[in-house]
Amino acid sequence: MNLELLKGSRSRILAAVILFIAAIFVARLFYLQVIRHDYYVELAASEQQSRFTIPASRGLIYAKSGENTIPLAMNQTVYTVFADPQIVTEKDEITTALRDIAGGNIRKDFEKLLDVPDSRYQILATKLSRVQADKLKEKNFSGIGFQENTQRVYPEGDLAGQVLGFVNTEGVGSYGIEGYLDEELQGQDGLLQAVTDVGNVPLTIGNNNIRIPKQDGRNVVLTIDRNIQSKVEDALQAAAGRTGATNVSGIVMDPRTGKVLAMANLPSYSPGEYFNVNDVSDFNNNVISGPYEPGSTIKAFTMATGIDTNAIRPSDRFNNTDSIRVQDRVISNATKGITGNITFETAMQWSLNTGFVTIAQRLGDGEQITREARDTMYEYFYERFRLGQSTGIQLSNEAAGAIVAPDQPTGNEVRYSNMSFGQGMDATMLQVAAGFGALINGGTFYKPTVIDGFITENGFEQIEESELVEKGLVKPSTSTEIRRVLTDARRAGFPGVDRAGYSVGGKTGTSQVIVDGQYSSTQTTASYVGYGGADTPEYVIMVQVSGKDKVFQGARDALPIFTDISNWMIDYLKIQPKG
Amino acid sequence: MSYQQNNYYTSRRQQNWSRNQNTTRYVSAIKLGPVAHTILIALMITVLGLIYLTQATRATGYDYESQRINSQIAELNEEKADLQIENARLTALETIKNSAVAREMTTPASTAFVE
Repeated sequence: MNLELLKGSRSRILAAVILFIAAIFVARLFYLQVIRHDYYVELAASEQQSRFTIPASRGLIYAKSGENTIPLAMNQTVYTVFADPQIVTEKDEITTALRDIAGGNIRKDFEKLLDVPDSRYQILATKLSRVQADKLKEKNFSGIGFQENTQRVYPEGDLAGQVLGFVNTEGVGSYGIEGYLDEELQGQDGLLQAVTDVGNVPLTIGNNNIRIPKQDGRNVVLTIDRNIQSKVEDALQAAAGRTGATNVSGIVMDPRTGKVLAMANLPSYSPGEYFNVNDVSDFNNNVISGPYEPGSTIKAFTMATGIDTNAIRPSDRFNNTDSIRVQDRVISNATKGITGNITFETAMQWSLNTGFVTIAQRLGDGEQITREARDTMYEYFYERFRLGQSTGIQLSNEAAGAIVAPDQPTGNEVRYSNMSFGQGMDATMLQVAAGFGALINGGTFYKPTVIDGFITENGFEQIEESELVEKGLVKPSTSTEIRRVLTDARRAGFPGVDRAGYSVGGKTGTSQVIVDGQYSSTQTTASYVGYGGADTPEYVIMVQVSGKDKVFQGARDALPIFTDISNWMIDYLKIQPKG
Repeated sequence: MSYQQNNYYTSRRQQNWSRNQNTTRYVSAIKLGPVAHTILIALMITVLGLIYLTQATRATGYDYESQRINSQIAELNEEKADLQIENARLTALETIKNSAVAREMTTPASTAFVE
């Protein structure tokens, strides 16, 4: 280096300036590249990389059809057609094409939407099928775009609507199995993070690519049998027409497994058109969500309690005077005149309240429904038959109902005398049907279920045979005896209604409804719970008929529905008559 | 007088050299200086870079192919789903009940099991 140069003041100043500028560059670069390194890396990545959600498909829902499975809920890709009015030029052609191709899917006055000033997005038609969308795409109109959406479709229409529930516009399942299993049905969306080109096509270059595969929702197979479900819905519809009832419900169960074969209500709705429902109560599945006083159907449980505890035998007698005093109340029979020294079997046949209050008394000291008697009834009704507690069925909005315990202030003798014939307690139809199933199947309580299994990559995988909750609910001899009493009562009370060669038994129920805190004499609910089969019970059916300000009777209004379904079930299940 | 024997190991190459006294090492007449070396290294780096770019471009080409196939799969799946829905609708109970064949069917007066 020529030292002479350094001696010059201008050179030295220039060198100092250059050095200073260089120092500024270095400092700035250090700041940008070292201190703000993460920020700029992130900024660059956000421009170069894109994140794509890989949407998971919602699981399908199947029903049984005999041995086969058929789809009840599926997914369909549909298209929304939108326009950018500022780009659209061929208005007439677009209008004609939409009318010809989209038909009923176009929005009202969609032509005017093409002229909306200062708008860049106007929806012209919704829910177009792929074929319709493809035909429109072929036209290649400028300013017309397509948006893909997935829509839930229910090919069987309104069949089992309240069992299924629906999926709302946000893709969330509501009510029924759609609501209960929403998380499992939805699955888990996948994620793809990658460097993309200008066309947003993901490329494999780059070090920070992420690919998390989607997990589709589980495909569920219900225990609901399409044919039985359809029969039950038809029978309920016919009953509504016959009786003038506004609300009719029915359930069919297999007492050997706890599987629900059919579950229906009127009024109902079509899950694919849930938005047309005016009254939200139509979404409720009354079989599981509407606890009520089941009335005389509970007499089968009361008699079973008496037999199982050796307090009575069906052939034992009591003196019927058509009324019985319990503390300061007098309880009367609906059917009068079967007075005198009669058996409990006769009381069952004529559904005499006095007979069942007497059974409740005999659970105690024979004179009163003592605390011991109430404890026994509570143990059988609540803990064994599980009336008044949720069954845990895989459907949304199951109600628990209520059984007042004897240690509660209102769990007194009057309450328990009413409970002996099904008043003063709340239980759902599902609870009564499940408990009744245990009563007549030998004493084993099966948790009611609507899920038969799942369809996976390996095919159909059945869930464990049945979730056994409790064995020995009642003694097998009690179960046999109750079956005999119920069958005899039905044969005696309603001869000739059942197919010959089969064991069909059951119990009617007519319960007063509480209106404004009082039992109404102008509004009653009719019920019937029963079973059928050859040597062993193969199905349990429960039906309920009700309506505002209407009087219904179990024998007149509910029993014919049971009989209709029961006789059909014998054919459908191909049950061979007893030898 | 003592006798001493020494064994020396000689490699085969050494033996060959010994045998072929005319063998010479090739020495290039071209001498490369530091600038030429730098240019050559730069060229080699350039060639390697080009090879890398070629490979990367080829991989990107596969990306487009993969994207095309994925789109095709999605389209076919959509078509399959549409057909399954159509099939389900055609075999729905309500459709069967309203079919001409079903309307011609009658309810049997009685059914019985044959022993």
